[in-house]
Amino acid sequence: MASLFKDLAKLSAYRDRRFNGTQEEFEQALLNSITVYIGNMSFYTTEEQVYELFSRAGEIKKIIMGLDKNSKTPCGFCFVLYYSREDAEDAVKYISGTILDDRPIRVDFDWGFVEGRQWGRGRSGGQVRDEYRTDYDPGRGGYGKLVQRELEAQRQLVDYGAGSLGSFPPVIPPHYGRHGGGHGHGVSNRHGRDYHRKRHRDDDRYGRESSKRNSDHESRRASDHESRPEKNPRFRESGDSDDEEEDDRKRRP
Amino acid sequence: MSSWKSLLLRIGDKSSEYNSSSDLKDHIETCFGALRRELAHSSSEILPFLLQCAEQLPHKIPLYGTLIGLLNLEDEDFVKKIVEDTQNVFQDALGSGNCDRIRISMRFLTALMCSKVLQPASLVVVFETLLSSAAITVDEEKGNPSWQARADFYVICILSCLPWGGAELAEQVPEEIERVLVGIQAYLSIRRHTSDSGLSFFEDDESGGDIVEKDFLEDLWERIQVLSNNGWKVESVPRPHLSFEAQLVAGKSHEFGPISCPEQPEPPSTNSAVAYGKQKHDAELKYPQRIRRLNIFPASKTEDLQPIDRFVVEEYLLDVLLFFNGCRKECASFMVGLPVPFRYEYLMAETIFSQLLLLPHPPFKPIYYTLVIMDLCKALPGAFPAVVAGAVRALFDKIAGLDMECRTRLILWFSHHLSNFQFIWPWDEWAYVLDLPKWAPQRVFVQEVLEREVRLSYWDKIKQSIENASALEELLPPKGGPNFKYGRTDGQEKTEQEQAISADLSNKVKGRQSAREIILWIEENIYPIHGLEITLSVVIQTLLDIGSKSFTHLITVLERYGQVMAKLCSDQDKQVMLIAEVSSYWKNNAQMTAIAIDRMMGYRLISNLAIVRWVFSPENIEQFHISDCPWEVLRNAVSKTYNRITDLRKEISSLKKGVISAEEAASKAKADLEAAESKLTLLEGEPVLGENPAKLKHLKSVAEKAKEEEESMHDSLQAKEALLARALDENEVLFLSLYKNFSTVLMERLPDDATLQSLKSHGDSMAVDLEESPAMEVDDENGIPKKSQSNGGKATNIYNVGEKEQWCLSTLGYLKAFSRQYASEIWPHIEKLDAEVFTEDAHPLFRKAVYSGLRRLSNEL
Repeated sequence: MASLFKDLAKLSAYRDRRFNGTQEEFEQALLNSITVYIGNMSFYTTEEQVYELFSRAGEIKKIIMGLDKNSKTPCGFCFVLYYSREDAEDAVKYISGTILDDRPIRVDFDWGFVEGRQWGRGRSGGQVRDEYRTDYDPGRGGYGKLVQRELEAQRQLVDYGAGSLGSFPPVIPPHYGRHGGGHGHGVSNRHGRDYHRKRHRDDDRYGRESSKRNSDHESRRASDHESRPEKNPRFRESGDSDDEEEDDRKRRP
Repeated sequence: MSSWKSLLLRIGDKSSEYNSSSDLKDHIETCFGALRRELAHSSSEILPFLLQCAEQLPHKIPLYGTLIGLLNLEDEDFVKKIVEDTQNVFQDALGSGNCDRIRISMRFLTALMCSKVLQPASLVVVFETLLSSAAITVDEEKGNPSWQARADFYVICILSCLPWGGAELAEQVPEEIERVLVGIQAYLSIRRHTSDSGLSFFEDDESGGDIVEKDFLEDLWERIQVLSNNGWKVESVPRPHLSFEAQLVAGKSHEFGPISCPEQPEPPSTNSAVAYGKQKHDAELKYPQRIRRLNIFPASKTEDLQPIDRFVVEEYLLDVLLFFNGCRKECASFMVGLPVPFRYEYLMAETIFSQLLLLPHPPFKPIYYTLVIMDLCKALPGAFPAVVAGAVRALFDKIAGLDMECRTRLILWFSHHLSNFQFIWPWDEWAYVLDLPKWAPQRVFVQEVLEREVRLSYWDKIKQSIENASALEELLPPKGGPNFKYGRTDGQEKTEQEQAISADLSNKVKGRQSAREIILWIEENIYPIHGLEITLSVVIQTLLDIGSKSFTHLITVLERYGQVMAKLCSDQDKQVMLIAEVSSYWKNNAQMTAIAIDRMMGYRLISNLAIVRWVFSPENIEQFHISDCPWEVLRNAVSKTYNRITDLRKEISSLKKGVISAEEAASKAKADLEAAESKLTLLEGEPVLGENPAKLKHLKSVAEKAKEEEESMHDSLQAKEALLARALDENEVLFLSLYKNFSTVLMERLPDDATLQSLKSHGDSMAVDLEESPAMEVDDENGIPKKSQSNGGKATNIYNVGEKEQWCLSTLGYLKAFSRQYASEIWPHIEKLDAEVFTEDAHPLFRKAVYSGLRRLSNEL
């Protein structure tokens, strides 16, 4: 409604490289889309949390969690499909920049989900932004993947040099198997407990015990507790940190 | 953005464009200087932009009005064009009933009058036109009183201009304006007082009866009278034109041609109350009341301003909310930076809460106001959070009287708000609710807020957040895991056989057997041996368990094996059993219960009627006053039904447009073809009829295709219309069933001679009189209440409404809320409902709740 301040034509500064089509088609897709992309989520946020929050903008058709392509665990983004365009618009207008699970999330129009887009596009399986991050973000698996590898290498040296056998978990070189992704890095002590929480969507879909919820929460709480001070820098106080959003946008795979 | 544009936009704001000056005269001179330079070559750009600014930033209208007055001295034609354009916009808005545009155009005209662009007499003519239309509407003989909403709106618009131009009018055309005011007084004496108990935030204490609350128009009239007695002085309206008076008088006044109000809608042909009610409902939809005052703070917080200032500030705030929906930064900064010389945080909070809770619907989704409140808390960190906390406390104290729909919105808002502020709240203040019976509204409120917080976060986190009142843990929802009857661990109550079936089924699913294979297996090997109940329980529980890990898992199972459920639960009885099984599986997780039932309805495995039946089953009825869970399920079902109808209506309206353009295309193609056929062309030297054959052939095929297209559009339109007709019939059945169920359960439980008052006065202490209680004292620094023991906890502690009475109050409250929310869908079926449910036999309180929800005149009762 407020056409004075908002450039209505500018729907999303982000241009998905994998979109097959021209810029015009891309923009058209965004204009008609009933899908929104949600970024900067915690790895621990569940679909049900997303459902509770996003259903306040309208009836939800589907939620697709973004998963680490190696570990098949959530890696901090998702898609929400609405039934109506108006509801999708409201989700972008009213939820972007607000807090979910203690993190300011970003909500953008998306050109539409297609199979394959649920996987992280980073080298290590997660999102690209989690490759190169240098900050410590407990909600997103600690340090960025590159930093993690470096830390491991250092630790290996320190470990052997000091000869303190057994005081650190054995260092597993990064591999890209089932437990790739967030595994085997320097802060694995803290996050080791969280692995079992992450879902396996396909291979593991029907095999898991569902009573796991409780232990999950315990580990979440513990990790949350420990890491609170480190979390603060990411916490938005002023509500309008466009810089961070821009930054985030560029880094999005 | 060109500099003149940003100067126009930012005029009046403390901004870099104006070197942070706050002198309005400076602003106007600077902006005027820039516009004057541009006027010669970009007047065609300036004009629409200026009008757009005036419409979307109506709190700056006095500044724009003065600017235009100054421009009038430079370029009369430019300003003449502005007046003409405004007239057109205004006339169109009147015709289409665009309330916001009518209101704002009139304020703009008033400002133009103040800066001498318009004659005061022209404005008076506008007022008189609207007033006479209003007077005719409410005339029993010549008019159509069911459309009073529109008449009231017109009169409100006239009165709303007076804070902006009352002084000028009174000075320049005293007799004329007096005549208008006398006319309004006369109008007020013939119109009906609107008593909208169906839309008030609080269940009114009808016991008193003698104090009739003023309706919005009566209230505004009173404020205007005070204003007039005060010599039309208004602090909240800037009057920048006064600084330029000497120049402005030299400007030429422009003509403002006559305007016309739309015809009176035809009164109903039959003189029945039902027909009248339907029209009244339509009129109120089209001309809704913008605001209903929510008095939550003690008068001392807000009433030190003049009565009219409150109205003006509300107008400002509502307009910012309207036009800056979706622009967070601007919205918050305009909200906090209104051009008034006094503080208004309390008024701002009341206004936003009054919108969040506005009945029947706020102009925007409640989540918008949630966002605005968050942003204001961040924009005014020293002041606003404490005010919000004060509002929460005040509403909490009065929660027992708060409308059910408002309670639900408040719960959703509060939980969401807290989730954005680390779930910090002084819960210990409310720890006393544990001593209240489990149906006490305050206790239920705390419990439901915690439930929603857990949904937005997770159980342990919320448990941690109430550490300062750990006793409240008792009100936390269960930890939320599924309750699988055939899980490996508890074998005692289920036979091994049943466990084995469950395991078999589970393996079949893992082995990716098709739904058809599983149906066959059930029909051949399970059902014949174990019978319906066991088969249904094992199959449903097992499938739910397979889909229990997340929303997506659930959907996947329903998509793949929904047919198995559908086959097993083919009629309504079995669907009710299916729902009961869902609720048993997810008994520890209200959210998953609601989601699973909702999705099953989505896949049409269960009907909305089955859901209604389940909601009104004995176990749920017992929950009506102590939990929102059954109501959530019912709300979802009705809203999904409504959404389906809305979608169909949208599709039909776009198909209709498609049909029209297809028809046009077809007739054009046909005309082209005929034109080509009738043309004479030379073929091998001989004139022949018709164009060259290739082109003709092409035209022919185009015409045929267009015709086909047209027909197929017609067909799909017809198909959709048939679907809509069926959906509407089903809707009628749904509402019949819903109301019958409500009527029955209420009849069984309401005492014969019950009145609302007798239900409430069971303990005579439900309502805590806020005005007399200093409980609202809030420490402005940090929001910590200075609540003393005597009036905080204890005063509200003496809730002693009996369980049965509270059950009745809650159920009636929900009944009213449903009726109100879906009133537009219910009114078309009113004759049928009257004949079958709202009969003489129904309990009077049942009918009263429905009628007030539908805003039906209650004198029929």
